[in-house]
Amino acid sequence: MTRNSLSVRQRNTGLIATAAAAVIFITPFLYIFFMAMKTKKEAALFLFSWPREWHFWSNLTEVIMARNYMLLLAYMNSTLITVGAVTLLILFGAMVGYILQRRPSGWNRLIYAGVLVGLMVPPAVVPTIWVLQGLHLFKTLQGMVLIQVAYGLAFSVLLYRSFIATIPRDLDEAAIIDGAKPLQIFVKVILPLLRPVTVTLIVVQSIAIFNDFTNPLYYLPGKENVTVQLTLFNFQSQFQSQFNLLFMNILLVTIPPLIVFVFFNRQIVAGMTAGAVKG
Amino acid sequence: MAGVVLKSLKKSFGAVEVIKGIDLEVKAGEFCVFVGPSGCGKSTLLRIIAGLEQATAGEIWIDGREVTGAEPSDRGIAMVFQSYALYPHLTVRENIGFGLSLARLPKDQIRARVDAAAAALQLGPLMDRKPKALSGGQRQRVAIGRAIVRDPKVFLFDEPLSNLDAALRAQMRIELTDLHRRLGATMIYVTHDQIEAMTMADKIVVLNAGRIEQVGTPMQLYNHPATPFVAGFIGSPKMNLFTGETARALGCTTYGIRPEHLALSPTAGTWQGKVRHIEHLGADTVIYLDVPSLGELVARVAGEMAADRGDMLWASPMPGREFRFD
Repeated sequence: MTRNSLSVRQRNTGLIATAAAAVIFITPFLYIFFMAMKTKKEAALFLFSWPREWHFWSNLTEVIMARNYMLLLAYMNSTLITVGAVTLLILFGAMVGYILQRRPSGWNRLIYAGVLVGLMVPPAVVPTIWVLQGLHLFKTLQGMVLIQVAYGLAFSVLLYRSFIATIPRDLDEAAIIDGAKPLQIFVKVILPLLRPVTVTLIVVQSIAIFNDFTNPLYYLPGKENVTVQLTLFNFQSQFQSQFNLLFMNILLVTIPPLIVFVFFNRQIVAGMTAGAVKG
Repeated sequence: MAGVVLKSLKKSFGAVEVIKGIDLEVKAGEFCVFVGPSGCGKSTLLRIIAGLEQATAGEIWIDGREVTGAEPSDRGIAMVFQSYALYPHLTVRENIGFGLSLARLPKDQIRARVDAAAAALQLGPLMDRKPKALSGGQRQRVAIGRAIVRDPKVFLFDEPLSNLDAALRAQMRIELTDLHRRLGATMIYVTHDQIEAMTMADKIVVLNAGRIEQVGTPMQLYNHPATPFVAGFIGSPKMNLFTGETARALGCTTYGIRPEHLALSPTAGTWQGKVRHIEHLGADTVIYLDVPSLGELVARVAGEMAADRGDMLWASPMPGREFRFD
């Protein structure tokens, strides 16, 4: 349907829906923003109001410097975990998806069932910690990266597999005739064509992993292992009444994923629907 | 110059035998066309020669070397796919040079060879485009360019013209024949279109249900078909074939007469029939007759033949042009 063919009713409905969505999604952000600017006393009132005095800079420096620059360490840890986990997710997801889709083998059914189970069965925390302890990966960033990969792999395998099904096999065969080895076919022909899915996964998974609160809480205890979401937890216990700082911290932690999302939004939608329809 | 020899080649998918023992020699420099109906195994046979499928039994020799178990890239072949199979993320130049860059040739050498291939196919102005910005005919040329640049001993074509419109197909037939003459390479070409087979081939191999029906030059197959299948497959419109009582009355199991070898007359002849349908092709006219003793009889006569639907006409076979198969 072209834009011109929208009826008045359709347009009005659309405008109202957009306005409602804007209010629902923007109000919390405004609340966070205002709270982060207030003084300790004013923030404690929890009002949705314009700050009487603006304390942006002082709140900001206080949050960053709190507990010996803990927020900066958390940023570094979270970034390392996110980059490491997303890289592995993309690499393994694409490879497993490719083999599952292309190679006819009885094992593939079993493996595919395993992937589906990975999506359906919720992970158990305590046995996971036992395994991590057994492997000496508990309380390490590498262990956290592996946990995130394990939790996200099923989704990325599924996404890649259905997308690879739309890439004609002729391309693989043309590459074979051109003298490509299996790994070269994957790296030089298939992987570049997976870009829409890869972008989607980078955005979706990096936001999810960067924002993850519970998993680092369970699997990554220790002051030196803090991640950005855990800094909120620490603040709440330390500055019980300093809600202005807590909200400033929330603001700082929310901004990076938001930027990623705003920039890649269009490509995410393209990637999510890319495998759905042949074309 | 390299010939291809197939020795009692067989291929099964599970319990289904698709290729049932093929012996064939394609001589060096020959343009050999595999032709047959859908599902006769012609594409599978080509893929076995390419090495994309493994034969269940038998041997493949290319250029005097056995390559039955060899990797596709070690067989000295290049293949053009029906879908062209161009790499969508690479430019025309990169598409053509892909195989050479995999072989780690020096950059300037790749460039020189790609340019030479492109010049031969008039692809010069398109070198930096992606495949999606090309027309069907241009994509076809790039796919051929990708084959040429590898300088193969044998070219394999898998129905390369079937995605093109009729005019372009006629033009590409001529271009491919020219290319064959220029390169002098051995070419094996798969098609289900008997016109492509007749117009391009030095040698036609007619396949049916996984077996070779007949091998010969286009005119040999036209003039001396060995079986009713070949007789019906080669030639357009299809040969009139009659079996059962009708054929027995004419002294054989299957009787055949080509539409162009029937003479029509309003007054006298062998079989009388009523005109059911007329197709005017300009130079020729194709007339469908309902003959009570035979069934439908198709005749191809000169364009100026005047006849109307419902007319009664006599058809007579030209002497020496009838086929009797036992």
